[in-house]
Amino acid sequence: MGSELAVLFRRRRTWVMLLALALIPVLVAVAVRISSAGSSGRGPAFIEQISQNGLFVALVALTICIPLFLPLTVGVVAGDTISGEANLGTLRYLLVSPVGRARLLLVKFVAAMAFCLAATVVIVLAGVLIGAALFPVGPVTLLSGDTIGSGEAALRALLIAGYVTVSLLGLTAIGLFISTLTDIPVGAMAATVVISIVSQVLDSLPQLSALHPWLFSHYWLDFADLLRQPIEWSSFGTNTLLQLAYLAVFGTLAYGRFASKDVLS
Amino acid sequence: MSTVWKRWIPAAVAGVVVAGAAVAVPLSAGATSGLPEKSPQEVLALVAGSTVTAFSGTVEQTSDLGLPTLPSGTGSGSGSASTSGAASTSDASGSDGSAGTAAAASSALDLLTGTHTARVYVDGTTGSGNLRVQVLDRLAERDVIKQGDTLWLYDSGKQTAVHATPTATPDAVPTGPEQTATPQQLAEKFLEAAGSTTDVSVGGDVTVAGRSAYDLVLTPQSGSTLIGAVSIAVDSETGLPLRVEVTAAGASNPAFSSSFTSLDLSTPSADLFSFTPPAGTTVTEKAVEKPSAASGGATEPSHSESDAPKPVMTGSGWSSIVELPAGSESSALTSSPLLAQLTTPVSGGHLLSTTLLNVFVADDGRMFAGSVSAEALEAAAAQ
Repeated sequence: MGSELAVLFRRRRTWVMLLALALIPVLVAVAVRISSAGSSGRGPAFIEQISQNGLFVALVALTICIPLFLPLTVGVVAGDTISGEANLGTLRYLLVSPVGRARLLLVKFVAAMAFCLAATVVIVLAGVLIGAALFPVGPVTLLSGDTIGSGEAALRALLIAGYVTVSLLGLTAIGLFISTLTDIPVGAMAATVVISIVSQVLDSLPQLSALHPWLFSHYWLDFADLLRQPIEWSSFGTNTLLQLAYLAVFGTLAYGRFASKDVLS
Repeated sequence: MSTVWKRWIPAAVAGVVVAGAAVAVPLSAGATSGLPEKSPQEVLALVAGSTVTAFSGTVEQTSDLGLPTLPSGTGSGSGSASTSGAASTSDASGSDGSAGTAAAASSALDLLTGTHTARVYVDGTTGSGNLRVQVLDRLAERDVIKQGDTLWLYDSGKQTAVHATPTATPDAVPTGPEQTATPQQLAEKFLEAAGSTTDVSVGGDVTVAGRSAYDLVLTPQSGSTLIGAVSIAVDSETGLPLRVEVTAAGASNPAFSSSFTSLDLSTPSADLFSFTPPAGTTVTEKAVEKPSAASGGATEPSHSESDAPKPVMTGSGWSSIVELPAGSESSALTSSPLLAQLTTPVSGGHLLSTTLLNVFVADDGRMFAGSVSAEALEAAAAQ
């Protein structure tokens, strides 16, 4: 397990992706700082609040990252789990060692989830730091109009990072499953990213509203429910249940495929 | 070979379990328990005798009025849509008041399309009553906070707040554009309107928000109204209306539904009702006169205008028509590009047609609204 994490986080690619994610809040903050004179009332939610409170940089950055950048990086990591080893020809050596295939799969999944957590935490941390550097930091205004102190705001930021990480469970499981299907990591990565985009496109079609609660991306932006007073926990619960259901289905599918597969490379 | 197939067993089991749970959970939620039989009068008495003064809950409102869905699905779409609508109106008319009204009307219209979730906190035990409604939009929130006599409307998307201090005795219900009516308020309205022109019956037992409830069905006797039936689910224990569904005449699915999805009968915390506008919010002070109560249809856009000229009621019961004299509101309504898209030009004016309610704006600025056919409205306008 430790070695798997070490391999993941020693890769230059992982660092580049985390760095790219950290750049997004920096870009947002700098852009708002430069153009702070004109507030047009457009753009993503919260973006106007940045100039009053730097902590909102983290939220804006998350809102921007969730639809594309996070699924993209998670797709790269999750899609690479098994097929990457197969492509490098290291998978059969891994299987020679006295470790069960289920355990190997589990370790790979946990490592991918560790990356999800690292990615969200990096975005939030970078956002808070750059926000604190460029803008005043003070009591945070919640969506309900109430204000909370910085300490509680930090707590909620952590909760949001947790929510987003949980939200990525389903996508990671899907990526893991696809990764067991092929020996070509790029194909698995692309398929995972495409699935996340298809899910979001389906989510935006009002004609398919019956399907929406079952899409793993449906609750992604509902992290804002943690910014209400009192906190609306129901979306957190529903989201977790949904992600666990995806994890159960695709995790076991991945096991079925991986355990019954003839590993030749 | 058989060992290979065994590896797929977990996948099959997980699939079956998830699918089973997905099917079984809504089914068990819909299961009803046997309640003692009650006559419509007994259920009405149960509603009238309801002593619930404080509760909190989540209300989900779904409207399918045949209006096109406004672009409010993602982000602060509703906020920016109304803002741009207001901006262009003020360009056209140069009047801030009508622009504000148009923005308010489009905000109210937004609430009348699609699905909205709101959290409601009511505490009627102190003074003149406290109320807080939070309309939960995606990444935004619209709040109505009423503490005693003071009323706050807050919109997190636009970062605006309206502070209203009523000059007359305040109504129990704030009439802000952000209002999402709770099942309780709606039920009172419909029961008031019912009178002798309505057949009242009790349908089968239903379960709403995990509580067993009687289903009170109001059917208008008049054939000239657009409303086919109103179904009110009344909590069997407390008499609190838990759900209101309005079905258009000839339709099978409700066109409008407002329902508690969760309900807590304990008194909500007092600090929920105190509101201080956060820094950076544009606050508008407003002295509100006693709101002009447009009864009959709770879903009227005109309902939200507190400073409207005095309305005139014609007709009675379900097929009554409300007439608003010419004023700045109706001109703002017709000049707003958003509303212009929703209305269709007819001879002598513009018609906003929904499955439950028709609104006719005559060319001279008078506005007619009612749950009747468009022809009846035009006839009323011609008189």
